[in-house]
Amino acid sequence: MTDVSVTELSREEREAQERELREVWRTPSGWRYWTSVNNTEIGLWYGAAAFIFMLFAGVLALLVRVQLAVPENRFLSADVFNQAFTLHGTVMMFLFAVPIFEAVAIFLLPSMLGARELPFPRLSAFGFWSFALGGVFVCGSIFFGAAPNTGWFMYPPLATDKEYSGIGADIWLLGLSFIEVASIAAAVELIVGIMKCRAPGMRINMMPLFAWYLLIVAGMILFAFPPLIAGDILFEMERMFDWPFFDAERGGDPLLWQHLFWIFGHPEVYIIFLPAIAIMAMIVPTFAQRPIVGYSWIVLAAVGTGFLSFGLWVHHMFTTGLPQISLAFFSAASEAVAIPTGVQIFVFIATLLAGRVIFSVPMLFGAGGLAIFVIGGLTGVMVALVPFDWQAHDTYFVVAHLHYVLIGGMLFPVVAGIYYYYPLINARRLSDRLGKIAFWLMFVGFNVAFFPMHLSGLRGMPRRVFTYPADIGWDWFNLISTIGAFIFAAGVAVVVIDVVRPKHRQPKQEMNPWNAGTLEWISEPEESWGVRSIPIIKSRYPIWDQPGLLDDIKAGRYYLPDAQDGARETLVTSVLDARPLQCLRVGGTSILTMVAAFSLGGVFIALTFHWWILTLVCAVLTIAAIIAWLWTGTAEIPRLEERDIGLGKTLPLYSSGPQSVGWWGMFITMAGDSTAYASLMFGYFFYWTIHDDFTAGHAGPGIGWPILAAALFVFAWFAMLLARRVNAADRPGMTRAALISSALLTVAGCIAGLAGPHFYAMDPTAHVYPAIVWVVAIWTVVHAAVAIVMQAYCLARSLAGRMSARHDMDLQNVVLYWHFLVITAITSFGVLGLFPAVR
Amino acid sequence: MTNCSKRKISGHLPIAVSLVLAGCTGSQSTLDPAGQEAAEVHHLFVVMVIGGGFIWLAVIGLLLHSCRGQRQTWSEEGAGRLIAWGGVAFPGVVLFALLVYAVWLMPSVRPWLARTVPEPTQIEVTGEQFWWRIRYPAEDGVAGFETSNELRLPVGERVAFSLRAADVIHSFWIPSLGGKMDMIPGRTNVLSLLPTRTGVFKAPCAEFCGTSHTYMAFSVVVMEREAYDDWRRKQASGHQPEGSEGERLFIHHGCAACHSVRGTTPVAALGPDLTHFAERETVGAGTLANTRENVGRFIRDPSAIKPGAQMPAFDMVPQGEIAAISEFLAGLR
Amino acid sequence: MRLFPKEVESLWTLFTGPSIWAAHFLGCSIAVAVYCEKAGEAPITFAQMRLFLVLITLLALAGIVLSAWLAWRQWGFGSGDPPHDAPTREDRLLFQGFATLLLSGLSFVAVLFVAVPLVLIEACQP
Repeated sequence: MTDVSVTELSREEREAQERELREVWRTPSGWRYWTSVNNTEIGLWYGAAAFIFMLFAGVLALLVRVQLAVPENRFLSADVFNQAFTLHGTVMMFLFAVPIFEAVAIFLLPSMLGARELPFPRLSAFGFWSFALGGVFVCGSIFFGAAPNTGWFMYPPLATDKEYSGIGADIWLLGLSFIEVASIAAAVELIVGIMKCRAPGMRINMMPLFAWYLLIVAGMILFAFPPLIAGDILFEMERMFDWPFFDAERGGDPLLWQHLFWIFGHPEVYIIFLPAIAIMAMIVPTFAQRPIVGYSWIVLAAVGTGFLSFGLWVHHMFTTGLPQISLAFFSAASEAVAIPTGVQIFVFIATLLAGRVIFSVPMLFGAGGLAIFVIGGLTGVMVALVPFDWQAHDTYFVVAHLHYVLIGGMLFPVVAGIYYYYPLINARRLSDRLGKIAFWLMFVGFNVAFFPMHLSGLRGMPRRVFTYPADIGWDWFNLISTIGAFIFAAGVAVVVIDVVRPKHRQPKQEMNPWNAGTLEWISEPEESWGVRSIPIIKSRYPIWDQPGLLDDIKAGRYYLPDAQDGARETLVTSVLDARPLQCLRVGGTSILTMVAAFSLGGVFIALTFHWWILTLVCAVLTIAAIIAWLWTGTAEIPRLEERDIGLGKTLPLYSSGPQSVGWWGMFITMAGDSTAYASLMFGYFFYWTIHDDFTAGHAGPGIGWPILAAALFVFAWFAMLLARRVNAADRPGMTRAALISSALLTVAGCIAGLAGPHFYAMDPTAHVYPAIVWVVAIWTVVHAAVAIVMQAYCLARSLAGRMSARHDMDLQNVVLYWHFLVITAITSFGVLGLFPAVR
Repeated sequence: MTNCSKRKISGHLPIAVSLVLAGCTGSQSTLDPAGQEAAEVHHLFVVMVIGGGFIWLAVIGLLLHSCRGQRQTWSEEGAGRLIAWGGVAFPGVVLFALLVYAVWLMPSVRPWLARTVPEPTQIEVTGEQFWWRIRYPAEDGVAGFETSNELRLPVGERVAFSLRAADVIHSFWIPSLGGKMDMIPGRTNVLSLLPTRTGVFKAPCAEFCGTSHTYMAFSVVVMEREAYDDWRRKQASGHQPEGSEGERLFIHHGCAACHSVRGTTPVAALGPDLTHFAERETVGAGTLANTRENVGRFIRDPSAIKPGAQMPAFDMVPQGEIAAISEFLAGLR
Repeated sequence: MRLFPKEVESLWTLFTGPSIWAAHFLGCSIAVAVYCEKAGEAPITFAQMRLFLVLITLLALAGIVLSAWLAWRQWGFGSGDPPHDAPTREDRLLFQGFATLLLSGLSFVAVLFVAVPLVLIEACQP
């Protein structure tokens, strides 16, 4: 300790602190274990569940490979085959590749950042339970022969054809929408956590690279997933109520779905890839035993990839007949994204060259993954060129390419991460011998399985065929691929065995067995408090560069060594320089998150089967659970205003507005929500561009009603601004009056908004124009309804004495919501009312 | 096999080399081009494979070197220079050159048809679950006609296809001639191809379109101009009624309600046109070889062979009558 | 109250180059998509539109150069070499400057890539 001299605590005092901490952060036992919200438990469950889904999807892949091993095979019927490959792709993407990163992030980030917890632990738990339930629902469908069978990309009109796709498409749409909610929840959690909860002193130039990557990835999720949610809404409206968004006969267009799907789908590839590379960026310096060379280059690569990846989506649509010049723009961006990708590979190689490499199992998987990934990258450069893609698109060449990219770029680094980080779970290492066996089986098996696919693809084998004739020359390629797939699967099985085999007899090891330099290695697997005390960080590799750090942390010589008021606490620091700002109290163990997740799951499942009453019941239960969770767990007025966090520093316990993490959470959530809204509006203008007259002679909502609605929303927004102002002036009566009048104005706005399409008798099943008008209006009104609930909540908080002039976090956040809502309302009703007239 | 010998360089693994040697030729192979676009793309591919092979070897060589225990440790500046030159400058230049090559290639293999002289013939092809409706336009005095599941094209001339879909998205792809183009409901896409040698080629549906996506293919016969003109004249004129038992049964059992055999039956448009059916390579849009037995099997229970096919089973029709119908179809030359 | 806390504004500088790239990319692709769908009604020819987009490209490149210059200045005109990992505000600023400079470089190259089709493709043909 250099900055402040502290009086050393006696052993008794230290033990008393530890008892306190242990009690506050205790993981419940018995069945209540599952109500835990601690990041280590949630991270572990998340990871285990994702891994189980991966094994399930892997078995599906083996079935597919058996079917294709020999020509004219009758092992699977065409229908089962179609379900198997659809579910394989869906599960690997949505239930393994994306969630595994959320799992690793939730598990590692707090300790890596020197925080006790992420800012919204209950949100993590909610996300996990949503994911687990949605995943079981989607996977379970195949045992009832009801799995989606239209490919993981769900192209209409095949997927909107109820006779063909049955209930499978609904399971896909609703099950995955539910999981997307979980992903967005995780993104909010991670962004706020990384920006605001780093240990004091950890400036942005000293953040672990893993955190940089995850910050970018979480940002990407926020802008990539919502377009798919918007697409899902349109899709489900077509399936459930026959609104013709993708039906060409009534003005719809199947291509709109392809746009929305791939605006999500391509960034998703990088959402999967970057976190795995982030793990590599932690492993490589450890085994080179030196800091990474080119820290700034990695930041460049992560940010650059994040941006460029949003300009690639049409390269999945090179054969849809768009103008060549449009295709070429996307081809150019797809080539450009190879540059930041290459930078990362060279950063790793440069770091290894500048260090002395200790070779070990994690490095073996890392290097093997790199060798595979580079091939995938090179074929990626090929298929990103339009003329080559015209030939290669939808052939086995692309199957080979995507598996080289995802398995080399994601699965191998993740397995490297499992071998590297396992000691953090169990204080023991996995077996080196089994690790090597697993690696060689996987590496050889992978190449034997997937390399021949390049050739069968170039020889004309299309994707998604369930069999092929004997005389066409694909038989040997396919047989070899199948053999390779089983060798690869054997390798994965060895990894699973190594992870689950009992290790009681193996001695426990020291805390940091690889001699790594970053903070995650301070966490103790036996304790659930994360860090004993929150350190001051002065290096990118504090364990290497700050002597005595571990002892000081363990002896409680840093911040927050105790737990007062029985609350779970962590520090909030500033974004750029990580100056301590606030002592944040986070939610503890609760069953409410589980109830909320399960009842929300009930909504989606009941919708699938069109059980309307159950849907309604579950929806009410969800809202009730969420309100109870917010009421009891957030914006608590603390007993004291400030708290001594140790080292002579005192911090406030409550803050509101942009200082508070809740405000950030709202802001980020609404950024994602606005993206979904923008996607709907994109749909509106998309129909305008593809038709000469996009109204097709149908009546619009008029001008009067929409303009009235927009005006009412503006007034309601003013009333909210007023409420915030009078509340700050400590006039609760006026605040309540302003809230009530704003709510009434909102109700009037909703009525006016729906009156336009209603009184002009717009029939949403007749043509796509009335349908898109209705969807935009309903979207806005639903958001307004949520706003009314929020206003009622603020009113109740005010009446219950839980909101005051100083403690106004709830109101601040609701006003922030209103900023977004008023923009939405003006845009929606302005466009609906005026655009048909001015175009 | 000259094309193949170049491709050996792509063999990152010994197994790949032997597989490549197993042959690039084939009636459905992009590695054995028979059209201008396919040849240009094949050339582009060979360039990329050679370049990519060298890049892969260099990167992996460097990686292996970096993992060796006994070697000189690089300085931080040296390592930084490696990132700048190897990770940014070199790929930037190479990718830019490659992009210019590929973008330049696009309008040259798929030229703007309105400016092409003479404007190519436009053949309409419609994808249906799970077969291909093909319509040839009237050309130099020969009337237009409809056929299905088999294209015939003149060699050395650019032909354009106007592509539509009747139900779901399909994709039109003749690997030997050039790249693919989707057929999307509500849209008409145009693709032009220039076959450069005669032969019979296969063309699968390249977009997943339902249960029997696998069994949706057509044959392409590229022929000399005169043979092509003869074929068109013959197609346009249809058949003469022969009054055979098979012909009578074909109408009697309702086959003619969906399938046309021009000249002998009333016009019907629900299913594939069967005029000059016996000249085709396959039955059931690439499902089975066109033999009398296979035709009989197909009529008896189409879904057993081609799951999800729209055609109902005719297993109630006596064996002998099915044989007669097959006989009739086999005679449609 | 301000919508963005002050410190976030300075984090945004990192994204200037990529944001200009994104705006340019979206501008070009939307302009072309709408033009090609509505070619019949458009008052300008395709050549005029390409020329316009080339001008936009030059503007975008100029914007990126400006952001690079600002970043270079923040980086002290290259006076100190990376890694910029000292626990001081100065090194944090130098790091931001250097990272912004690198990102501006990448954005510049990416805009050039996107401009290639404008030069080589002269019609709306599919």
